[in-house]
This record gives sequence, C-alpha cells and structure tokens, in this order.
Amino acid sequence: MSGATATLVPASTRTATPAVELIGVNKWFGHFHVLKDIDLRVAEGEKVVVCGPSGSGKSTMIRCVNQLEHQQEGRVVIHGRAFGESAQKDEEIRRDIGMVFQQFNLFPHMTVLENCTFALTWVKHLPKAEAEAIAMSLLERVHIPEQAKKYPLQLSGGQQQRVAIARALCMRPRIMLFDEPTSALDPEMINEVLEVMVELAESGMTMMVVTHEMGFARKVADRVIFMDQGEIVEDAPPDVFFANPRYDRTRLFLSQIL
Amino acid sequence: MPDEARLAAADQPLVFRPKPERPPPTSSIGVLGWMRANLFSSVSNALLTLLGAYIAIVFFTAIINWALVDAVWEASNRRECLDRVGRAGACWPGVIAWIPNLLYGLYPKDQVWRINIAFLILVAWALPLWLPRVRSKVGIGLSAVLLYPFLASYFFHGGAKDLLWTALIALGMAAFAGVWLTTLSERATGLPFGAAIARLTGAPEDDEAATRTRARIAYAVLYLVAVGVTTQWSLSEVSTRYWGGLFLTLVISGFGITFSLPAGVMLALGRRSQMPFISLCSTAFIELFRSVPLITILFMFNTMLPLFLPVGVEVNRLVRAIVAVCLFAAAYMAEIVRGGLQAIPRGQYEAASAVGLGFWQSTALVIMPQALKIMIPTIVGNFIGLFKDTTLVSIIGLFDLLSMARAVGEDTTWLGLFLEPFFFITMIYFVFCFLMSQYSLNLERRLGAGQRR
Repeated sequence: MSGATATLVPASTRTATPAVELIGVNKWFGHFHVLKDIDLRVAEGEKVVVCGPSGSGKSTMIRCVNQLEHQQEGRVVIHGRAFGESAQKDEEIRRDIGMVFQQFNLFPHMTVLENCTFALTWVKHLPKAEAEAIAMSLLERVHIPEQAKKYPLQLSGGQQQRVAIARALCMRPRIMLFDEPTSALDPEMINEVLEVMVELAESGMTMMVVTHEMGFARKVADRVIFMDQGEIVEDAPPDVFFANPRYDRTRLFLSQIL
Repeated sequence: MPDEARLAAADQPLVFRPKPERPPPTSSIGVLGWMRANLFSSVSNALLTLLGAYIAIVFFTAIINWALVDAVWEASNRRECLDRVGRAGACWPGVIAWIPNLLYGLYPKDQVWRINIAFLILVAWALPLWLPRVRSKVGIGLSAVLLYPFLASYFFHGGAKDLLWTALIALGMAAFAGVWLTTLSERATGLPFGAAIARLTGAPEDDEAATRTRARIAYAVLYLVAVGVTTQWSLSEVSTRYWGGLFLTLVISGFGITFSLPAGVMLALGRRSQMPFISLCSTAFIELFRSVPLITILFMFNTMLPLFLPVGVEVNRLVRAIVAVCLFAAAYMAEIVRGGLQAIPRGQYEAASAVGLGFWQSTALVIMPQALKIMIPTIVGNFIGLFKDTTLVSIIGLFDLLSMARAVGEDTTWLGLFLEPFFFITMIYFVFCFLMSQYSLNLERRLGAGQRR
C-alpha cells in the first residue's frame, strides 16, 4: 500500500498549507440561503466526514469545494490557490480534486476501462497504452480489474461506484470528495465500497466525505462535521462527536440515525 | 413442518436448495403457442383476426391485379392501353418510357453518366465506414460530408472553373483518393496512409514529429497531383435548369440532411447557452423558421432574397431552394437535439467537469454521443420527413421527382396517365424512406449493445 501512497500523494507536495479552505462562504438558491458563513479548513491528509439532515447544505458545501456550485460570497482556496481567477486556472485547480457522486455518474456509452482512461487521454493527453496501464492499476486497487471491458450498466451498483472511485483516482488527485457515495446502493453492496474508501484513507489521501455511515466515520475520520440549516454546527474528532456532542441538535440527529 | 424447521434452526441451520428450473408448458411456445396467444386468444379476437386477414387479402389482390396481372407492358401510346384493358389494368409503357426523365429530369442523355459516376463515388466514399479494420472512420465520414459536395458539384454542373473552384474540386478529389489509400493501408498495415508512407520512406519509428512531417508531405503531394488532374479535366456545363427527377430530390434532401444535423446541434447548444446574446439569436432563429411553413420560406427565398442582394449578384434558383430547405431543417433539428440534451442527467456534465473536461470536450465526448443515441428515431424521422418535403420545391419551378411524375400525364402520347407514374414514385419514395428507417433501427441496435439497463 505504501508504494501506491507514494504515487498518489507525493511526499514533497505535503506542506503546511491547508488542502481545502472555505472562507466566509455564502450561497443562495434563489431566495433560499443554503450556506451561511461557512468557514472550514481541511489539512493535507486529513479525513473529514460531513453529516446532517437533508437540506442542511452538506452536499452544496462539498460541491463548492470543486466549484460544481459557485458561492456568491466568500472564497474557496485549494492548496493555497483560490478559485475564480480565470476559467483556465480553475480547470487546473479542479484537476487536483477527484469527486465521487451518489448516482455514480459513470459515462454509460463507454466501457469501464474507457471511463477511466477517458480523462487521461483527453485532458492529460497520455498515449493510449500508458492511460490503460494507469487505469488497470487503479481498477485493481478497487478490486474489479476483470470488469474492465464491460459497460457500466452491466455492473452492480457497488461495482459501479468502485469504478467511479477508480475513475476519479486516475487523474492523480490530491483531494477526494465523496457526495453520499453509498446512499444509492443496496445494503449488500455498501461494505465493498466502504472498504475501498477505508483503504484509500489509509493511503493518506485528503478526503471529504458526506455520508451517514457512522461506522465509517468512527473508523477513519479525523473530524466529523454536523451541518444544519446551512451552518456548521458541530466540528469535532469522532470520539468526542459521538460520545459528547455540544449541541442538542446534534444529539437529536444522532439519536435518530444511530 | 415449520416447528421442525425452527427446532433444527436452533442448533444447526437448514441448507437452502433452490428448486430446479422446468421448461415452460408447450402450449405457450412455438408457432401454435404464439398464434394462440396473439391471434386467437378469445372469440372476439379470433373474429377480428379473420376480418383483418380478409380485408388485407381483398386489398392486396386488387392492387396486384391492377399493377401486375391485368397490366399492359408494351404499347406505344395511352390509347392502345385503354383499348386493351380499359382502366382495369395499369399502363406501364408510359412510365417505362419516362424513367430516364423521372430519374434525371431534363439532364442531357449523353451526360447522364456523370450523375451515375458521382453517385458511385459517394458509395465508394462511404464504403470504408462499413469495412472492418478501418480505424479512421470519423475522418472518412467527415471528409465525405465536407468535401464530397465539391467533387460532386463539378460532376453535376461542369463548365468553366476559376482558381478557387479548381482548388476545392481538387480537394474533393484528393480526399477521395486519400480515403481509399488510408482504407487500403489500414487494412494492410494497421497504419493510416500518411503514417504508412512515412514508415515506408524510413522515418524513425519513435520520432513522432518526423512521421507527421512525412505524412503531411505525402498528403501535399497527393493534393498537387489532384490539382494537376483537375486543371486538365473539363466537363461541359449543364445548367441547373435541366436538373430534375429523383436526382434533384436527392441533391436537395442530401444537402438538407447533412447540413441540418450539425447546424441543429449548434443551434441547440446556442439556445441552451448561458450567454444571453447567443441564446437570444438561436432562439429567434429557431422560432422564426419553425413557425413559418416551408412553402412560405421557399417563396421568400425565391422571390425576396434577390431584392436584398446587391445588384449584379445572382444566386441560382436551386441554391436558393437548398438554402431555404437547409435552414428550415436546421430549426427543426435544433429542437430535437435540445430535447435529447435535456434527457441527459445533470450528473453527466458534473462528472465530466469533475474529471477536468472543459465545456466543448464534455459536450462533444460525453453529452452528444449519449443524446444523439437516444434521438436516433426522432432524427431519422425528421430526415424522412425532409426527404418527402423536398417535393414542395416544385412550386418554385424546380422539377423534382413529383413534378416529373406529373409531367408524364401531360405528355401528348401518354395524356392523362397520372395514376401509374404516381404509383411508381410512391414505390421509389417508399424504398428510400424504408431503407432510412431500417438503417436507423440497425444503428440503434448496434449502439445500444451492452448499454441497456
């Protein structure tokens, strides 16, 4: 695993600069105030789990991190580089961030392998053989190299989500975002995805995970964040978060999902 | 039993064994099973089946008797036909005598080979698209759409050519040669023509720049040869006034079909654009052309366009008709494409941009392939409609297939012979449209392989 770690996150790039910084982020959908004064720092290599009731803004917040959603106020800074300078620079910053979605969002008209090599070919312009070698090594990491020639819709949900993880890792991101990665899965398949995520966490990747899998949070999170009504209510290490949350709102939420 | 099972479960779990699968009952499979299920499932359905069969038989025997059994095949004028069978049988000699005109209009008989050759070139141009082991299919398809028209228009029209025209015709010719050289070299060596030439002339294997330079030189030589051939080559001029029949129909609809899809894609993207000016222009264009009947547009282009052009500039009537048809078709296509785009979930855009693709890349490589695939039935339906709509050009004095068919009955020898030519061109239209729709079904099946839920 350490070899893979080295290729994913070169040691030289680890610095004291936080991997992700949200500074005074505010966002509205129409008149609805989704994110209220969000301030958040995630250090390099840190794993942060975000939870909260639906509509609390947790997905919107994580989608602001790679600018799939644009905030109206505040700044998003990745490894010391702020978004919003120019479209081209934004693209470059975004390449450091991989994302895994609730609905997998694999490209249905491409095979599993093509899904993974696609960005390598078209964004990084690697030769086909090299791109396929990288893709296969990552499909092995998520334990499905044998499905490479199939189309996504021929796979189970758990397998599709693992392909989605491999696809994101192909671009060698330094940060991985997970937006409810197991919410659309049948219960039998949740574990195979979580296992892959745990392995990824052990390899030292910076991760932000929106999930309600509290077992996962306990196991890998450095911090657990609880959001409600567009605000970060609680931000604590998992042992404190689960044993002794400060706010009643957090306690109520935990009593409902645990 | 349940008690026993529960007791057993207490210390050792029962082993679950699925039941073996049995074949379905014989009455539900095979031809008889199918007929019972679909044709004679109840008394009323059986009656309907028999009634339907009776109507079909009466209808088709009547047509076959008229068109084949009682028909006259040899006669020198319509009078003769009527004297022999009256109106009970078809009078085919008139149609047969007019077939050259139905196919080519008034195109000079001794020049018709040019149309045939150009048509064969198109077939040969597209043929590599269906051959295995040919990899540059996108390039071949694009070259056919973009460059074939130059070559074909010289075949069709001929006449004097200035410098620019010569260059364009030569481009078409070189592209055709290039397509086949690439096809042959890819089937033989797996390399496209340029790279194969580079390899043959001894470019170092690992030096991509050298290979590319030599490939470019090879293509440049090919083009110069084509220019040389073009300057030596001359065909007599056949004015578009003499174009007609099926040939004219295919020219107009061919332009309309190949233009409307890319233009429709651009308009649809324009309409969805977040830039207000582009969105406004696209929307205005689409709504304007969609809200006006094609006949009106043809009239406008035919009679009013010359008023807006500077004095001395004259645009050919056929060109005016083609432009009108293209713009009209593009507006319709734009709305079809927009519908397809809306069916693609937002997540696909997000996933594409999350792996670092820009707008054009994600549109061309992720969104469009999926959208076009689900739109195939509608797009081909639109093509078929367009093919048939070209009959409207007859009202601005172009002699398409339909007008030529009408002309048969106005010929003094065959005066009043209308039904047979119409029957004949109905068959022609049917064959073309049916082939298009079958091709679209085939395309759907192939593209859908492995991607169905």
